[in-house]
Amino acid sequence: MQLREFTIERVLAGYRKQEFSPVELATAYLDVIEKQNERLGAFLQVDRDLVLAQATALDARKQEVNKLPLFGVPIAIKDNFLVKDWQATAASKILKGYKSPYTATCVEKLESAGALIIGKTNLDEFAMGSSTENSAYFPAKNPWDTSRVTGGSSGGSASAVAAALAVGSLGSDTGGSIRQPASLCGIVGLKPTYGRISRYGIIAFASSLDQVGPFGRSVQDVASLLEVISGYDRNDATSSRAIVPHYSDHLKGASLKNVRIGIAKDWLEGIDDEVRKSFDEAVKLMVKEGAKVVEISLPHSRYALSTYYIIAPCEASSNLARYDGIHSGFRADGVTDLDSVYFKSRGKGFGAEVKLRIMLGTYALSAGYYDAFYGKANEVRKLIQQDFLTAYESCDCIVMPTSPSTAFKFGEKSADPIKMYTSDICTLPVSLAGLPALSVPSGLDSQGLPIGLQFIGKHFEESHLLKVAHKYEQIRGEFPLPSGVDY
Amino acid sequence: MSESVKLDRDEVLKIARLARLELDDAEVALFQDRLGRVLEYVRELNQVKTEKGASVKHVPRDAVSIREDRAIEFVDREALLSNAPAQIEDHFLVPTVIEQS
Repeated sequence: MQLREFTIERVLAGYRKQEFSPVELATAYLDVIEKQNERLGAFLQVDRDLVLAQATALDARKQEVNKLPLFGVPIAIKDNFLVKDWQATAASKILKGYKSPYTATCVEKLESAGALIIGKTNLDEFAMGSSTENSAYFPAKNPWDTSRVTGGSSGGSASAVAAALAVGSLGSDTGGSIRQPASLCGIVGLKPTYGRISRYGIIAFASSLDQVGPFGRSVQDVASLLEVISGYDRNDATSSRAIVPHYSDHLKGASLKNVRIGIAKDWLEGIDDEVRKSFDEAVKLMVKEGAKVVEISLPHSRYALSTYYIIAPCEASSNLARYDGIHSGFRADGVTDLDSVYFKSRGKGFGAEVKLRIMLGTYALSAGYYDAFYGKANEVRKLIQQDFLTAYESCDCIVMPTSPSTAFKFGEKSADPIKMYTSDICTLPVSLAGLPALSVPSGLDSQGLPIGLQFIGKHFEESHLLKVAHKYEQIRGEFPLPSGVDY
Repeated sequence: MSESVKLDRDEVLKIARLARLELDDAEVALFQDRLGRVLEYVRELNQVKTEKGASVKHVPRDAVSIREDRAIEFVDREALLSNAPAQIEDHFLVPTVIEQS
């Protein structure tokens, strides 16, 4: 089986033509994951029995391949999502051994559509990081060059799809955690509008920013996953009742003719030369197809990093207060009273970056500081969002690089938090504004590492966004796979 | 925001206490440095002219956050309890919190 060529459509066609059965395909993927995971560190849990049980059940329902849009399609899930009977550690020691008591709504929707859950993927602990180096277990490695990071925090989900260890995957994006690893791993990753997908069953990091989204090898696959996992959920009061279009059908006949593409020139400062060059070439290609470039201004986005690094840690310090050494997961040894259960379990259970962010949030929310930090950051956030809304009066879609650089080496940025945080400089403003955005590969740099192009849409207009990205993908042409993915 | 962002050891320990985190000496030194760097950086927000009390609307405009107030029984009590580091019968087990007289 040529797993490297598998898209959702290809898998479904294979089932229809009886080239393979769900059990056969599941076994092929499990075997490859077993061989490759030591090299890539993409998965934190692969459970052969759980996968084969699903595949066997699908074998018995073969005739449903024409009804179920994801019948037997192997999908990997980030390990901060709950999937009943699977672990959910959020790559933290404090949740070591935690077994999901129920399934996240978006994963339930995948299962109802026939998807085969193939494993739980690696991430930065509690999704806090931009390189997956903060995983308490082991780092995920970039399939294009294993001495380099995958990006993060959804690094395992990106690595798994890039290395063809899964056809698609789910991640979560708080400040860039889907788009940036998609960019660094050379695949497509979408963060939908805040509220498009239920967050029920996702381990919370920063609740006003967290959003679920899909990874795939093409815009088509990402659209097919998005239409399955989107929609209102009574268990998430922030989920939207807006109808869910058939995003994948809408891609047909996509055109760039007269599409007004917004570019913020001042935002291109600080971008690596090769990334900038690839961006300029992509824009040129789109203009050739009839797109019109509109210069826009997003003056407050330069404060996005500071705004984000107040809001996200504040919300995290509150969300992570629940890990108490009592209700779930890890309790430190040698505890004698209630306080020592809290202090020791949390002190030993959380990693350094998580502790840093909890402390930042605790400091910023402590008595007398609330208005100066969280209040002020929310006021600036409003201005950042307003800039985007103003820009959309003159353009239909905004493009910019996804990440200022290609994949960096392990350890290169881990000693300086600000240096690491700036890897998300192009994605943070979008998250703060709650807008949908996706990263599509636009080329390779001189070292053969993928570069990503970010398309940003209007609230709840994923359909238009995907069309533009799909058309770009067509004119860009075939994108290569990393070498070594030739199983 | 305070003028100085150099945090001394006691300040870091105070924040750690509020956050219920036990830190060793090396961590205290590490966080003195890292917290200081981040707090220094975010001070730039003071330059931005903002409208007092403004904030984005997080909830999508069509999402109604009010739904029928109906209790749904979570049937899998066992699955929840089994994740606790210590439990007894139907309860979470913790060290003694009330002194016996």
